[in-house]
Amino acid sequence: MRLESRTSTLQELYGEESARIRSQFEASGDGKAAIRERSALIDSVVVELWNELTATGKSLDGFCIAAMGGYGRQALFPYSDIDLLFLYEKDGQAEYLGKSIIAPLSQSLWDLHLRVSPTTRTLAECGKLHRNNIEFNISLLDCRYICGDEKLFEKLRDRVLPGMVTRESQNLAQELTGLARSRHEKYGQTIFHLEPNIKDGPGGLRDYQVACWMEQIEEMKHSHVWKNPEELLPASLRSDVIKATDFLDAVRCFLHYRQGRDLNGLTYELQTEAAAAGIGLHGGPVVSPNDWMRVYFRHARAISRLAVLLDEVPQTKSLWSRLFGKRKFRLSNAEFTIADGRISLRDAASAEDPVVLFRLFEFVAKQDVKLTAETENAVEAALPSIRKWLATSPDLWEILRQILVQPHAASALRAMHRLGLLVVLFKEFQAIDSLVIRDYYHRYTVDEHSLVTIENLHKLANSTGGSSNKFRDILSTLERPELLYLSLLFHDVGKGMANETHVEGSLEAVKGVFERLRLDSNERATVNFLIANHLRMSATVLRRDIFDPQAVHDFGQAVGTIENLKMLTLFTYADIKAVNPEALTPWKAEMLWQLYAATENYLNRSVDDQRLYVEGDDLKQLERLSPPVNDPGEVERFWNFLDGFPKRYLLTHSSGEISTHYRMYRRLNYSVAEISVTKRHDYYELVLVTTDRPFLFTKVVGTISSLGMNILKADAYANQAGTVLDILRFSDRFRTLDNNPSETTRLKQDLISAISGELNVGDLMKKKFQPEKHPPKVSVETRIHLDNDCSSHSTVVEIVALDRPGLLYDISSTFAELGCNIEVGLIDTEGGTATDVFYVTKQKAKLASDQQHELQLDLEHRLSSPHP
Amino acid sequence: MLYSEEKIMMTKLEAIVQPSRFEAVKEVLTELGIGGMTIFDVRGHGRQKGHTEVYRGREYTVDLLPKIKIEVVIPDTLVDAAVDAILQSASTGKIGDGKIFLSKVDQAIRIRNQERGVSAL
Repeated sequence: MRLESRTSTLQELYGEESARIRSQFEASGDGKAAIRERSALIDSVVVELWNELTATGKSLDGFCIAAMGGYGRQALFPYSDIDLLFLYEKDGQAEYLGKSIIAPLSQSLWDLHLRVSPTTRTLAECGKLHRNNIEFNISLLDCRYICGDEKLFEKLRDRVLPGMVTRESQNLAQELTGLARSRHEKYGQTIFHLEPNIKDGPGGLRDYQVACWMEQIEEMKHSHVWKNPEELLPASLRSDVIKATDFLDAVRCFLHYRQGRDLNGLTYELQTEAAAAGIGLHGGPVVSPNDWMRVYFRHARAISRLAVLLDEVPQTKSLWSRLFGKRKFRLSNAEFTIADGRISLRDAASAEDPVVLFRLFEFVAKQDVKLTAETENAVEAALPSIRKWLATSPDLWEILRQILVQPHAASALRAMHRLGLLVVLFKEFQAIDSLVIRDYYHRYTVDEHSLVTIENLHKLANSTGGSSNKFRDILSTLERPELLYLSLLFHDVGKGMANETHVEGSLEAVKGVFERLRLDSNERATVNFLIANHLRMSATVLRRDIFDPQAVHDFGQAVGTIENLKMLTLFTYADIKAVNPEALTPWKAEMLWQLYAATENYLNRSVDDQRLYVEGDDLKQLERLSPPVNDPGEVERFWNFLDGFPKRYLLTHSSGEISTHYRMYRRLNYSVAEISVTKRHDYYELVLVTTDRPFLFTKVVGTISSLGMNILKADAYANQAGTVLDILRFSDRFRTLDNNPSETTRLKQDLISAISGELNVGDLMKKKFQPEKHPPKVSVETRIHLDNDCSSHSTVVEIVALDRPGLLYDISSTFAELGCNIEVGLIDTEGGTATDVFYVTKQKAKLASDQQHELQLDLEHRLSSPHP
Repeated sequence: MLYSEEKIMMTKLEAIVQPSRFEAVKEVLTELGIGGMTIFDVRGHGRQKGHTEVYRGREYTVDLLPKIKIEVVIPDTLVDAAVDAILQSASTGKIGDGKIFLSKVDQAIRIRNQERGVSAL
């Protein structure tokens, strides 16, 4: 039976009241009031229809209608579905009720253009857990009586549901959090979307609701009493969360009214309209869309902090989660406890101790654990103490460095940012806090984008397969990855500043960061280079022909060194990937890598041609490097020292290092060779300055190898006057120098003896050289490539081989035995692979074809039968 | 009915160009009043089939070179101007500059309001 006559009157009444609610909302902006009034309106419609349908006829004991979901919470948004529960007590009633009440009532509501989601259940069915429809169980938590048998509803609310919740609390919580985690995963685990979904996205209304349900379940389990969920939320978060839901309720009402549908995405256009209308601002001044979105993100952050409640529930009861939970527990120490993926301070007050505080975040960065709500509060409370501590100029760089290099650095930095600690340390970061830059490519706010770049690189370190392997291999060879991460953190802060370009702004901003971190000049130069050039590689890939030698030359000149090239390539990889997950297409990745490979080849093969000469254009550069002395003779001697060295030497060494080498050169008048040996972090650096002579390089590397050292990296240069400068890094395989510092003196003496011919290095190698005892863990195919075209003076010999002690001695002695002179040597080791580039000449000319062939065969033979 | 009774005169122009020339090509097409275009990141080769590079001592063949493909559907009256504009802006005189393909289009329909023919472009 359809209620036609009543429906048309009801339709008018419903229409008038709906319009009134809308006008009221548009005038006041009060979303909470609007959704409450809308719920009340639907209640009255349902009751009106119920009264009409039950006016005459059979008694309907054992049947009632209840509201569920948002409607049940009296939070019915303008175009949300109306979830109705038709509840009856006994089987057998269904058919009658269906015909007499449910169908006509539902039809009438549809006739009013209301989207009804009716559910018909018995009391017993409501008491069961429906694993395939857990949303039904959850929606029952919000059920509310509308009409019918009130006693039946009371049985549901006071007996059946508490019993179900108590019995199934763990399952309910796990399912609920599982759904939430999937949803978060779908939205990239971040609230910082430029066009967020305010209902389902992280930090949205659904997250708030999940937190309320979790608290209700927990309360019901213990007290069997229904309480207002807002009162159950953590006290420290409650006020901010309530303000946040006020804001989001208003925004969602605005979105529904504006679009006439249940659509909850906050597009750029809608952000502009919402900002202009002052939605959620309670009559405050109208702000720009970007500033309005900052308000949005502040509220989303407040709600996302409720997500900590999710971590109180183990994901599943699987063996894996039990074992993993136990593993984390074993990581607990005197300062922290770790359980179920959360870390908490044993003593909350210890957060005021900067040592403990930053160890906490280092731990987060290492293990990817989350902070408990209590620990988050302790960190926030400690911020004033940290400000005071900063005034004492602590070694902040060492602290930050330890966090940046950990595999989950981005997680730690996010937590620090969310709690305000990052901005306390670096006020420059405030400029991009929740900053929206509108374009159709970027998915995240600027601050989140910066953190995602760091996350991308750490994920790259563990990637397997695909084009990312090539970039992963580059990452593993970086000497100072922490400088790259630091650059990524600050590369876009300029977007929040009023400079002409954001690059200028970022470069200006990091000056303050450098001072606070007390970075040395080399470190500053690296960070400045990366920030200044962070768009260059993308621009070259997209706007130049990367197979054009001129384009590669220009890019190579701008980059200068291999280390800069590696860092810039990885920077570009991470930056593009952080625009949005699809931005780094296989096409772009391939172009990026091709440019990297071509430029690396260029830098390695152009060393010989790009030399520094006293006459001509290089004079200005020489003047800049000259020692600050009044003696023109001294300046001339300095220039003579540099005259003819590859320009690469100037790019890869600081002016301080160059001065040191010059002073060694000055002392050559009194000795055969000047040698310095310095212990670095995990290797030794040997600098040798001497006059060129036959077999020199062979003698040097042979002497070093015979003492048990493995040469990892070396640059070997000669200037115009035949002064040789060799800079070698080696590892002390048998800890000879570590355990016997006096052996350093012996090494120097042996080198001098070898160079002067007093010591026969060949005999030394035969007597003392000790090869590796164990077979290598990796297998590397030996590749030898000779090129007579890329250098105008020399033949370039590129050798890739399995790294082993004595390798360099074998290579260099092969050159020497064939009468080849090494003009430049660039030796590098990456993992177990030696990658060596030599510029060789014979009688001051390139090698002829037959000489090349002979050299290739000899090298292949020598490298296939290593020195015994 | 799929076809209207008026005579349809439209051409699909597909241009495969060097990535470094794309911005210049896009600009000239826009200046001609061609607003709608579809862009693809593609890889391919012509008769020369790419080239060989050496990296870390190992030779590898770069046989599928990156290009950009631009697709536009335009009235026949604009075809010659568009082709000339692309030829001028995309050409470097070197191997690998790309190609232009032209094909007839039977009909064009705007989804929003079912407009058909040249006015749907």
